[in-house]
Amino acid sequence: MGHGKYIDPFAGRSFVTNVPQEDNCHSERSEESPVYQVQAGETLNLQFVVLPGESRDIDVSIDLIGPGAEAHIKALYLCGADEKVRFRIVMHHRAPGCHSTQMIKGIAGGSGEVHFDGTIVVAPDAQQTEAYQENHNIVLTDQARVETRPQLEIYADDVKCSHGATVGQLNADELFYMRSRGIPEAEARTLQMLSFLSPVIPQGREQEVETAVRSL
Amino acid sequence: MAENEKIIQQFTSGEYKEGFVTDVEQEFIPKGLNEEIVRMISARKEEPEWLLEFRLDALRKWQNMPQPDWAHLDMPEIDFQDIIYFAAPKKDRDRPKEIDPKLAETFDKLGIPLKERDVLAGVVAVDAVFDSVSVTTTFRKTLAEKGIIFCSFSEAVKEHPDLVRRYLASVVPASDNYFAALNSAVFSDGSFCYIPKGVRCPMELSSYFRINAKGTGQFERTLIVADEGSYVSYMEGCTAPMRDEQQLHAAVVEIVVEKDADVKYSTVQNWYPGDADGKGGILNLVTKRGICKGSGSHLSWTQVETGSAITWKYPSTILKGDFSSSEFYSVAVTNNHQQADTGTKMIHLGRGTKSRIVSKGISAGQSQNSYRGLVRMGRNALNAKNFSQCDSLLIGCRCGAHTFPVIQSHQPSATVEHEATTSKISEDQLFYCNQRGIGPEEAVGLIVNGYAREVLSRLPMEFAVEAQKLLQVSLEGSVG
Repeated sequence: MGHGKYIDPFAGRSFVTNVPQEDNCHSERSEESPVYQVQAGETLNLQFVVLPGESRDIDVSIDLIGPGAEAHIKALYLCGADEKVRFRIVMHHRAPGCHSTQMIKGIAGGSGEVHFDGTIVVAPDAQQTEAYQENHNIVLTDQARVETRPQLEIYADDVKCSHGATVGQLNADELFYMRSRGIPEAEARTLQMLSFLSPVIPQGREQEVETAVRSL
Repeated sequence: MAENEKIIQQFTSGEYKEGFVTDVEQEFIPKGLNEEIVRMISARKEEPEWLLEFRLDALRKWQNMPQPDWAHLDMPEIDFQDIIYFAAPKKDRDRPKEIDPKLAETFDKLGIPLKERDVLAGVVAVDAVFDSVSVTTTFRKTLAEKGIIFCSFSEAVKEHPDLVRRYLASVVPASDNYFAALNSAVFSDGSFCYIPKGVRCPMELSSYFRINAKGTGQFERTLIVADEGSYVSYMEGCTAPMRDEQQLHAAVVEIVVEKDADVKYSTVQNWYPGDADGKGGILNLVTKRGICKGSGSHLSWTQVETGSAITWKYPSTILKGDFSSSEFYSVAVTNNHQQADTGTKMIHLGRGTKSRIVSKGISAGQSQNSYRGLVRMGRNALNAKNFSQCDSLLIGCRCGAHTFPVIQSHQPSATVEHEATTSKISEDQLFYCNQRGIGPEEAVGLIVNGYAREVLSRLPMEFAVEAQKLLQVSLEGSVG
């Protein structure tokens, strides 16, 4: 049961990085929607990049089963035409003292459709949990659609949990600032999008992402 | 042993002050729900043909609907044939001009001034609903001088049938959902309020609901229409006696806000929450919705939810008029075995519409408290804006707090922001208070009141005081 199958949906130009080795995390359920189990003291880092021109259905479950386990997810998606991108993330805190962060950012143009469905579940005994989730979206066109459902289900009291979600557009003031300093509109918009995405662009893959943003 | 039980009894009954039963002779119709019962209710209320048709249509729709189970609630099976759908104080029927002294006493106990001279400087007009019948409406004359109609729903059907017919079910259609359909079929009474063009209602309007009779359900219907440029502030309060079995409350509230009108709707819901073991209590399954029909209209919801065994309630606003705005401020407290699934829907259709959601959930004991919300930006909602903030406070390690927001945007110039946090009262905060001589219970009350202040400060004055006290009482015994 390798992760090769999991990476397979990303056979196109989109990709996922830092897929854990089998010995410290293993996947269950089905090949397409694995459950990552993170043991005590381990850290799971996942990073998703969905590039324009590809519809993706990403379904991930993470179980933090050992005390002090950590999981960090970063994701980036770009829709330029009629792609459909769907994220389903379940972060299950089953043990005390675990820590998780999720940062999911994307831009929807064309007639793209984005769905984000992210749940954080904190089990009754998972005290001292810290779980954070953020989903930010920029909508470029009238036809693009974004639906986001950040959810918290908390059954323990000594927790720090938060989620945030926004849907908006490129800031007109910023655009004006750059244009008044001689930066052409197209370039200014690209810069805005790149800075919006910068926290989730994987190291070493900046060029790919920049090319994709320019194509939007 | 018996002694022990007595003490426990006394202690638990001390928690819910409004748990008394009023011994008034009452008139019931038989248990159960079918066409005959609906006809009987309609006949008893001497309703016109169109309203009977409306009820029967709703009943047929209801019979073909499944009971929804999507809420994060552990809902007991409701036997709809085991409920009495209509109960009225008998003596009151015989002497409709004068209020039964026992009834008056009940409302006095609850702090509802029925006699006009009792009202402090006359700031509040009250419509009191006792089981299925509206008992009295105060200050009608003063209001009538301004052209304001404020009366029980049954009276409105008789005296202003055109208005009722025009607006009834225009915001919440009978087929809207399972409980709205049930209400449409069997609704007994409620309040009707119409504010004419350009009139600013000079006093707070208020309706007070009480379930008294055993084995009955309460199904009231409120309809508020604010015509162009008018303003009204409306308050709603509720209580019920303590009983071992659960009782059903399925209400519908509809609000129509025309151009430039402003409606403020406040609720303090304190139905009987059941005892500390989760026995009994009210199932509060309510549909509330308003429509900001004209441009520049405004609707504000403020609610303090402390009672009920189960609360299922989502006051929502349809922002249809351009540049209309709406707010939702909520404090929901659950203790012991209470369950609440509450929140709001903001549907932005018009240009430049704005909404703001502030929800504060407090869970203690073994209760479950959920926020569920929807913000939708329609295709034409140019430059619409929403901001939502949902905070949860956990007291004790056996309770749960959940947040289920949905954001849908079909308009690129619309902005939606949502944030939610979950936390507990920290040891540091408690220690700080204890150190300064404030006991643990009092300290929790202090912290909770501070936490909920943003919402409490939105309540009309009369309600704010009551709400603060309620918060304190609801959380009694949750520390320690």
